[in-house]
Amino acid sequence: MMTGVRPLGLVLLEMILLVLLGPLVTGTIQKIKARLQCRQGAGVLQPYRDLAKLFRKGTVQSDTASGFFLLIPVFVLAATLTAAALVPVVRAGPSAFPLGDALMLLGLLALARFLTAIGALDAGGAFGGMGASREMTIAPLVEPVLMMVVLSTALGAGTTDLGILAAHRGTSWIFAWSAADFLGFAAMLVLLPAETGRIPVDNPDTHLELTMLHEGMLLEHSGPGLACMVLASHTRQIVTLGLVSALFFPVEPLHVAGAMGFLLGAGAFAAKILLLSIYLALVESSYAKLRLFRVPQYLGVGFVCALTALALRIL
Amino acid sequence: MSLNLIAACYGAGALSSLLARWSGRLALGLGHLAALAGAVAGLGVSLGVLLGGPGHTLTQPLPNLFPFARLSLSVDGLSAWFLFVISLVAVAAAIYGPAYLRAHSPDAGKARQAAQTLALNVFLGCMVFVCCAGDALTFLLCWEGMTLASYVLVVSDDRDGENAGAGLLYMVMAHGGTALLLVAFLALTERAGAFDFAALRAAAGHLDGTTRTVLFFLALVGFAAKAGVVPLHVWLPHAHPAAPSHVSALMSGVMLKVAIYGILRFAFDLLAPLSGPLPSSWGWTVLVVGTISAVLGVLYALQQHDLKRLLAFHSVENIGIILIGVGLAMILWRREGAGGVIATVALTAALLHTINHAAFKGLLFLGAGSVISRTHVRNMEELGGLARRMPWTAGLFLLGAVAISALPPLNGFVSEWLTFQALLGGASRFHGPAGLGIVFSAAMLALTGGLAAACFVKAFGVTFLGRPRTQHAEHAIEAPPSMIAGMVWLGALCVALGVAPGYAMRLLDAPTAELLHGPTTSSVLTARGPLVLSMQLIPFAKEATAISMTMVAGLFIAFSAIAWVVRRGLRRASRRTAPTWTCGMSPTARFDYTATAFAKPLRFVFAALYRPRREVIRETAGTPYVTRRIQYAGEVVDLAETQIYHRVQGGISALSQAIRARSTGRIYGYIGFVLGALFVALLVFGVRR
Repeated sequence: MMTGVRPLGLVLLEMILLVLLGPLVTGTIQKIKARLQCRQGAGVLQPYRDLAKLFRKGTVQSDTASGFFLLIPVFVLAATLTAAALVPVVRAGPSAFPLGDALMLLGLLALARFLTAIGALDAGGAFGGMGASREMTIAPLVEPVLMMVVLSTALGAGTTDLGILAAHRGTSWIFAWSAADFLGFAAMLVLLPAETGRIPVDNPDTHLELTMLHEGMLLEHSGPGLACMVLASHTRQIVTLGLVSALFFPVEPLHVAGAMGFLLGAGAFAAKILLLSIYLALVESSYAKLRLFRVPQYLGVGFVCALTALALRIL
Repeated sequence: MSLNLIAACYGAGALSSLLARWSGRLALGLGHLAALAGAVAGLGVSLGVLLGGPGHTLTQPLPNLFPFARLSLSVDGLSAWFLFVISLVAVAAAIYGPAYLRAHSPDAGKARQAAQTLALNVFLGCMVFVCCAGDALTFLLCWEGMTLASYVLVVSDDRDGENAGAGLLYMVMAHGGTALLLVAFLALTERAGAFDFAALRAAAGHLDGTTRTVLFFLALVGFAAKAGVVPLHVWLPHAHPAAPSHVSALMSGVMLKVAIYGILRFAFDLLAPLSGPLPSSWGWTVLVVGTISAVLGVLYALQQHDLKRLLAFHSVENIGIILIGVGLAMILWRREGAGGVIATVALTAALLHTINHAAFKGLLFLGAGSVISRTHVRNMEELGGLARRMPWTAGLFLLGAVAISALPPLNGFVSEWLTFQALLGGASRFHGPAGLGIVFSAAMLALTGGLAAACFVKAFGVTFLGRPRTQHAEHAIEAPPSMIAGMVWLGALCVALGVAPGYAMRLLDAPTAELLHGPTTSSVLTARGPLVLSMQLIPFAKEATAISMTMVAGLFIAFSAIAWVVRRGLRRASRRTAPTWTCGMSPTARFDYTATAFAKPLRFVFAALYRPRREVIRETAGTPYVTRRIQYAGEVVDLAETQIYHRVQGGISALSQAIRARSTGRIYGYIGFVLGALFVALLVFGVRR
């Protein structure tokens, strides 16, 4: 029996940190994009203002929507928050009590996506259906590749527990990477825009029917319900980035106990997330959105990388 | 003693069909009540054996009907587990059945009601006793009874050509499989000189490797035809929709599992060598076939717009997932190193998915049955908007949809998690191409899960959400309470098996320990208490993987409560309803996304597999810019059906035509053929002697 090093309090604290930082990541990406386009852009705190505004607003609900429609944002947010509780943020190592592993994390994110798509069909407009259909086309193609990346790191460590995987990565970072790690990371970089709903797979800035996947599904939500959905997508984004950093970056670069350790860990986490945010912003600014039916080929690149990573790990 | 009780209950149910002479309703009611009693008795018996621990076996001799064979029943851990699964779904079907049959076909004649009552009880009894059979003869007799009774149920629903065709196809496939089983069994009984399983086991111990493998593959193909493994699945999407819905739930949720029972019984018990691992061709074949079934099953399900046909294809998928676990257990069994532990995990995953699939597929079929009994429509393009009219059915169907899509915190996730862990363990055990193959199977499993989610967004969304597309859906009302009760039972099972799977693991100790003679499920997986699933993939490694479904579900509920408060808003904001925005036109059901449209992108991505055909007829008014009428027809093909079965069918037809040309109708011609055949036979067999 092993003793965990991440008590419940810490896990919840990390989750709250993730949820609080989620909108900031979106804001940062938007800001970087704006600067790359030679615009001033909105402040990095704009997503918080948007959320605050939405929470204060009234609700307009479609008259065809069923009783599920009110519950969808609640469950989507809850599933995403539960997923956020599974990501090691400031400290690596197994949690003091069992909660969930990488597969559970992917499962919870899939649950959130499933419910979002259900909600999109509820109002009965063509836009919601289009968004749901496209989202549920891309998702099954992303998931196996994501699973292969997770398995390729899990095979080395013999576990799928994210805390232990992060601990395995140790403090030596890119210098200790094997070829399989590089390829797995490359696959992850291909997947990141798809999983966070960004160009070249999706465009988070528009509601136009030609581009929309995720945004199309949110069209019929309004007020606090929409706020829940938006908060869930911010959280989902930072959870995905957190998953990457737990799998490939050191989680606990300096072993310092107590509040100082927490602050240092949080700082290191912020730095890693910033790095990945800059990557996302650069990709969004330098590529055009792909046609929907080109996306499978794009994801195929990730698949090949992940498969090669696995092969290197096993053979 | 207690097995007698089960037999008596189902027997009484079958006999109560005689009452239909006076009152069809009475016969249906009593028949289903007896089936319920039989199911409850089955639960009792199986729990007694499963909780008795490994090695606890219940045996009972049967009256000697045949001079050459002693018949007996024998319930060991594996039998008890399948008895348990059958009984759980049978409870739901028995509660649900009478009201469904009354609502679905109110003008059914007494003869049909009698036949359905009789066949249902015979079907249930035969399934139970296939799993409890202690000898080959009982097994085969009950196997045949199960096929015949289910055939009667398949053709009983409506008297139309489609049902009859489905029944015929089912009959041919089932009997083809049974023929192979017969060969496998007879080859063993001839060597053993007896029919009981103990003698067969002893006789199989002396088989040489080739014979053993040939017999295994005979049995595997025979059972695979029943289980609906690709490419032997073609009967399934025809027969399952044709049966009454609670029978579909039984056929899909349980009858296919009886074939899984047969595979397990042959591989690990009857044909297993006395020592050493199973021949590696067995496990790899099962693993590959399982992976292919899982992926193709869900891909074809995606393009189905008939609610029950879609569910039937999902059974192909889930049988595939079960076989992935079975195959992995067969590969790893009795191998040195961590093989034993991972084999236990793999078998646990397979057995757990058996009960999980029974629960959620049963629930989904019953949900589909509620819809069909109220609307008399199976095509989801003609449904829609049912969530407002049938809220209970919709909620329970959604629960089943989440469960079958392998999403936490419900039961489908647990068994897929275990399968993933077993695959990961297997991959770390085998280096080289074998390991890569196992990991590829894991990736395919992930693809399957994602596609299943897409499919059920479609199935639930198009059927229950949006606006009603036809009058049938417009005027639907909620199903009667007894039908909802049947669904609630299975829904509760999905939740219980998802949130606290550790308690089911305890029941799996007996089957895993008896089959594998290795570590038990609970010693491997629930070492840290029933609420935690923990396992070590690599032996002696410091690290273990541990998850707690209970904890995650608790967190999910707590966060839902918080999110609900947040969503309601701190101060009550205004709320109003308005029509959905449809670009300024008045919204009608035509604006709702259809199932065809929903599945279109995936049809495009996997076009190589679907070979989609589409036909658009456009009627314009003089200029091509004004369209008067537009007609769309589309179709995807099942590759197995077109590439294999239609060719075989064509070959048989061609052969028949050729023979027909030779048949002159003159009697001396036929006598000549007979004499010629006799001459050739004597030449071939006589010369050899």
